[in-house]
Amino acid sequence: MTGGRTRRAGVVLALAGGALGFLAVLLWPAPELAPRVGGLPASPDPALDVPAPAPLERDPHLAMWSVVERPASALSAPGRGRRVGRLRTRTPEGTDNLVLVRRRARDARGRVWVEARLPVLPNGTVGWVPRDALGGYRLVRTHLVVNLRRFTATLERDGQPVFRARVGVGLPRWPTPRGRFYIRNKLVRYRSTFYGPLAFGTSARSAALTDWPDSGFVGVHGTGRPELIPGRISHGCIRMRNRDIARLGRLMPVGTPVTIR
Amino acid sequence: MHDISFDHLDADGAIAEAAERAGVVSRATFLGGALGGSLTLLGVAGERAIAQAPGPSDVAILNYALTLEYLQAAFYTEAQRMKALRGRAAEAADVVGAVERAHVAAFRDVLGSKAASRPSFDFQGTTEDQNAFLKTAVAFEDLAVAAYKGQATRIKASSALAAALSIHSVEARHAAWMRYLFGVQPATRAFDEPQSKQQITRVVNSTGFITNTPSTQGSRTPRYTG
Repeated sequence: MTGGRTRRAGVVLALAGGALGFLAVLLWPAPELAPRVGGLPASPDPALDVPAPAPLERDPHLAMWSVVERPASALSAPGRGRRVGRLRTRTPEGTDNLVLVRRRARDARGRVWVEARLPVLPNGTVGWVPRDALGGYRLVRTHLVVNLRRFTATLERDGQPVFRARVGVGLPRWPTPRGRFYIRNKLVRYRSTFYGPLAFGTSARSAALTDWPDSGFVGVHGTGRPELIPGRISHGCIRMRNRDIARLGRLMPVGTPVTIR
Repeated sequence: MHDISFDHLDADGAIAEAAERAGVVSRATFLGGALGGSLTLLGVAGERAIAQAPGPSDVAILNYALTLEYLQAAFYTEAQRMKALRGRAAEAADVVGAVERAHVAAFRDVLGSKAASRPSFDFQGTTEDQNAFLKTAVAFEDLAVAAYKGQATRIKASSALAAALSIHSVEARHAAWMRYLFGVQPATRAFDEPQSKQQITRVVNSTGFITNTPSTQGSRTPRYTG
């Protein structure tokens, strides 16, 4: 019994001594040896400071759009239903056609479809487009809000206003359509004092001017008659002073959702 | 499917211009395949100084790595946003996506104004299908491991090499993780072969994932309703 205790005490002492010795080796301050271990040079500092990985935050202000890669019909349901629109790959202005993406779903055969806001009449039409008819997804954080009663256009980024201007809107007989749309393209360096220096094309179309050239799309553009702004002055387009449209041109990317109310 | 050469990958010339601005390599030489240049850019950018050395440009190599990191970060981030993945694949996309975004941030930070621009991507539905996602993730991670290995002997500055190696091993862990999730053996070979920039570019081109920027701006006189 006594001999067993003595042996155990010896083992404990031996372990404690070993641990202390190990710690001493680890902690021994040997500055002259710090740069070299066993004759090897110290590792260099990496050229990069890689930050800690951060989770992807949910962003309620993100909107997604995609280019139409091949002509396609838009249906009222994924893979079935009636045709609600036809999509071409180019706009009447010669730019890539695009749609605003809302959500995605699979049909009964497992094919992926995308619900998109469409540039067709009646305004506000949404339809399901085959995923493989579209290109890559692109994101915007901006949103243009046009108030027809107050004659204002406000651009928001991440939900905060970053631009505001007075505008001219459609006359009562050619009203600017209300609803949710998106910016389809941006035209610059053309020769027209009527449209000002820059024009955005939207997915909104005039329901009154259906025989207008190039399908009667509603634009957001400058003007040669700034004295008429604000007011009901146009055929449906949203006009703003040239200095305002030039500034908006720097702030608003194509694909931006537009709300007209 | 697009046929993308390195010219397309560097569509706006940002990578080539970065090397050219350094005054150490002509655009023709750069696009001809030589990742040429010197290491002065990082010092100019006010970042950590990297010893100057002749020969291949570490800046160009870092930009090459950045482009691959852009590709990976965009892939995982889009998969996260699509919310089409489930179970362990979704968890892996969350973790790996965050890491790849951190890699992008690190490269952009050290390269400053010399950082290559982010290309446009079209992942062609692979972020919206579990099986296609995992298959593509395995390919991407294997590709990244081979790409870092392929440039290791070309990097001149030890600090840049240390950085590349620290990321290389992380990419290898990702590769093993994605292989496990996809149901293939993570490590069966005794040696991994490096791949050159040309080999990597050829593989990336074949996917069609890097696309041209959409043409959404024109100069035709508007015919909107006015």
